[in-house]
Amino acid sequence: MILNKRIFWNPMLAVGALVLTGCITSRVEDSRINSTGIKSGEGVVVMAKSYHLGNETEEDYIQCVERGLERGSSGLRVIPHRQFVDSLFPWFEPRTAPSETKHLPQLMDSPGVVERIAEQKVRYIIWLDGDTERVAGGGSLSCAAGPGGGGCFGFAWWQNQADYEAAVWDLNELEAAGTVTTDVSGTSFMPALVIPIPLIARAQANACKSLAQQLQQFIVGDEGDDSA
Amino acid sequence: MRNPIRIALSAILILGLLAGCGSNVTLDTPTIPTPLIVKIPASVGLRLPVEFQHYVHDEEIIGREQWSIDLGNSNAALFTQLFGFMFEKVTLVSADENPADLPIDVLIEPSIEAFEFSVPNQSKTDAFAVWIRYRIKVFDQQGTEVANWPVSAYGKSQKASISGSQALQRAAILAMRDAAALMIMKLDEATGIGSMAAARAGNGPVPESEQEQPSDIE
Repeated sequence: MILNKRIFWNPMLAVGALVLTGCITSRVEDSRINSTGIKSGEGVVVMAKSYHLGNETEEDYIQCVERGLERGSSGLRVIPHRQFVDSLFPWFEPRTAPSETKHLPQLMDSPGVVERIAEQKVRYIIWLDGDTERVAGGGSLSCAAGPGGGGCFGFAWWQNQADYEAAVWDLNELEAAGTVTTDVSGTSFMPALVIPIPLIARAQANACKSLAQQLQQFIVGDEGDDSA
Repeated sequence: MRNPIRIALSAILILGLLAGCGSNVTLDTPTIPTPLIVKIPASVGLRLPVEFQHYVHDEEIIGREQWSIDLGNSNAALFTQLFGFMFEKVTLVSADENPADLPIDVLIEPSIEAFEFSVPNQSKTDAFAVWIRYRIKVFDQQGTEVANWPVSAYGKSQKASISGSQALQRAAILAMRDAAALMIMKLDEATGIGSMAAARAGNGPVPESEQEQPSDIE
C-alpha cells in the first residue's frame, strides 16, 4: 500500500514542483558614485525612507533584505534597524531622519550621535525606497459547496510589480556611495478544475533576494584588501 | 424536532459574526528611548488634563465596523517621560495647585485636540494610519498664557504579519513617538521656554520678543 502511494504521489509532486511558480522577469542595476569596501567588524543598517515622504516600503521587505545581506560567504554584519533608530532617538525618526547626505555633517555634530554610531560600528546606511503593487489582474474563478462536497472552476491571474531602490550612504566619508535598483514583475495564475492550483510568482521575495545579493557585492566592492 | 446542536452552532456563528463587526484596541503604555539631547535648563510644571489619563476614541467606519481605541494612560506616561528627558526638573501639578506657589519657571499643559485614523479599506493600502493633534499651552508663573503650539503627529503601520488591532496600536504608538520627536526638536524654539527660564534665573525681564506667542509653529 505504501509503495503504491509513493508511485502515485511522486509524479504529482514532481509536476507540482515544476509548475507551482508563475512567470517572473527581473532586472537589477547598480550605479556607483564612490568606491566602497568594509572592514572586519564594520556593519550596515537597512532603513526604509520615511513614510512622511510617501514611501511605502514594507517592514517585512526590510527584514528580508537584512537577512539576505547576512547570508553567504560575503555576508555582512547587519545592525537591526529598530535597534539603530532607538539608539539614536530622535535623529532617525520618520520625521527627522536625514533625507540627503548633505545633512549628515550637521547630524554628526549633534550630541552623542558620532559616539553611538561608532559604538555600533555602522559603516553604511542603506535606505530602501519602493514597494510591491498589484498592477493588473483578471479572469474569473468561482467556488461552490454543498452537502455532497464542493469545488472551484475557472481561471484567475494577477501581476505584481516590485520596484525598489537602495541608496547606500557611507558614514565614514559622509557621502553617497551609490544606488542599487531592482525591478521585478511577476505574473501569478490560478487555474481551478474542482481544486484550485495556485502558480505563484513571488515578485517581492525575488526582488529581495536579488537586491540583497547585489548590495553585498556593491558594498564589499572594490577595496578587496579591506573586505571582511 | 430541531437539532439542538445545530441551533447552538448557529448561535455561536451569529455571535462570532456580530463580534467581528467591532474592534477594541487598548494601548500599552509606550516608552521612548533616552534621547540624544542636552536638557533644557528649566524647571517646568506639567499639568495633565483628565483626558490624558483615559482617552478613548470611538468611531464607526460607515457600513463596515466599529472601532474603539483606548489610549488609556499612554499620553500621560509619554509626556511625563518625555519632559523628564527634556528639562532639568519636572514637577507634576494637579488641577487645584497654584503654579505661583511652586518653584517652576513655566507651567506646561498639553491636550489632545483631535485623533483620527484610517484602516486599509479606506486608504486602499495595507496600512493603518493614525493622526493625533496635540496642543501645548505654556503659562508663566502668574498663570498668563505665553505660548500656544499645535503638534500634529502621524504614525503608520502595515498589517503584513500582525493583526489589524495590533497594526492600529502600533500606528498610534508611532504617532505618539512622532509627536515626541517633534517636541524634542522644536518645543523650545516654538515656545521660548529655555529663554524664559534663563531670564528668570538672571532675574532679568523677559525680552519683548520672547513674550510674543509663537502660535501655530510646527
